[in-house]
Amino acid sequence: MEVKVEGGDDFANASYEKICMSTLRDVGVRSSLDLVYMYCNPKEHVFIVSVKIGRVASPIKVGDITHREGENFRITNETYAPKLLALLWEMYGERVQQISRLEIGLKLEEKEVDELKELVVYDPREDLVARLLDGMDRIFPEGARVRSTITSTGRLTIIASENPIGEEWKKKAEELVSAHV
Amino acid sequence: MYKIMMFEGGVYKFNELKELIEDIGGFILQESVMQTETMLHLAFPEEEERVIRDKIKDLGGKFKELPLAGAEIVIIDPSLGKHHAVDPVCDIAEFFRRKGAITNMLGLARGVGQRIAQMTAQERAIIEEFDAAVFVFGCFKECIEEKVRLCAMLDVPYMVVGGPPDLEVEHYVGGIGRKTDRMRRKGEIDILDDMTAELGKIVDERRREIEEDPLAASPLFIKDMIEMVIPPEAGEELPIIIQLDGLRINIEEKDVGRIKEVEVGKKKLSEICDLKKSLFKGYLLKIRTEAVTGSVF
Repeated sequence: MEVKVEGGDDFANASYEKICMSTLRDVGVRSSLDLVYMYCNPKEHVFIVSVKIGRVASPIKVGDITHREGENFRITNETYAPKLLALLWEMYGERVQQISRLEIGLKLEEKEVDELKELVVYDPREDLVARLLDGMDRIFPEGARVRSTITSTGRLTIIASENPIGEEWKKKAEELVSAHV
Repeated sequence: MYKIMMFEGGVYKFNELKELIEDIGGFILQESVMQTETMLHLAFPEEEERVIRDKIKDLGGKFKELPLAGAEIVIIDPSLGKHHAVDPVCDIAEFFRRKGAITNMLGLARGVGQRIAQMTAQERAIIEEFDAAVFVFGCFKECIEEKVRLCAMLDVPYMVVGGPPDLEVEHYVGGIGRKTDRMRRKGEIDILDDMTAELGKIVDERRREIEEDPLAASPLFIKDMIEMVIPPEAGEELPIIIQLDGLRINIEEKDVGRIKEVEVGKKKLSEICDLKKSLFKGYLLKIRTEAVTGSVF
């Protein structure tokens, strides 16, 4: 993911570059984005953040995050453990036992095991936009509560300010975004 | 004038140090013994520093200056939302505590933004209860210059911490701004040290002002007198907080009468102090000057 910040002084640009990087990493969308462009105009208190969505990771299946140990399953990636357990309880009910932090007890026949491994635990496409919007909200200065959105295929742009956003800023934002993103 | 310092060392002959402090008219502000390690915050008359240093050398302990000790500081954030807290305000507060200050954090109700930033009358009154205020602002020069007007209304000394390295604002330290992780790199720790030094200057200035028109009795002495009448309860954390010109006491309403009757030298506490309920926590005791009350001895 490439991050470009313009408009502020050197210190502000460098700080916001770091903020964009770490915030989008925190919400878990960094690998799904190609480019983040931010324009700051602190004098008029207008901030623009535009993101270009790239290749989104493929769905996580049960087989990707567990391996079989006899009759039990061992979780290899704990990040998805709550989602996996919720899915298994929904599918198999009381047959699923959580033996320890990373161990799940579930007696299955061979045929059922193959089916289980193909079950989708989490699809990053499902909540990509929600996570992206949360990340962008965290990047904008807290006082910039008036928002205006420009959408186009594969690209999301938000203008934020503490003042009403006029037509001229919407036009300028489109110009800036089409030039950079 | 008292000097406040920290002693760290073993328990060997540690009581001798405590006795020496009492003999020279000093006070023990905080004491914590962890198995064989001890930590003491000591206050003693400035001219006796040599005696204390020699004793600590004998005991093989460490001696650390606490330039902010005896001051209660408030750190003010535009809000307590994820944009401003916990980084960098917690790092800033931690550094002040390491230098001996008692710190509190205040998030303004409507402090965010540039033009829309406000401070309510109640917030202002709370901030003015402290010895000094530290405002933590963001990365933009224009924004900080606009927001400094909030600080200018205050009657207490303040400093401003922000992003741009150079800004023509009084008591300003730059290089911090908005952060998303802990300040643990060498360059960042140097900035935190500079910031502590700047606050040290503000606190020293206030101390000098107080010294020109001395208080009727030192807050340290009054703390000792209060503790004789109302001993601190077991496990209670900082029941009495020392300020530069008074004390913050966390007592219940029923004890207010007893506090007023505490004898300080020849006078009662109510004769040399103004007691009022704090908007933030406990009761505030502001000590009147000796010129107003006359000598307590």
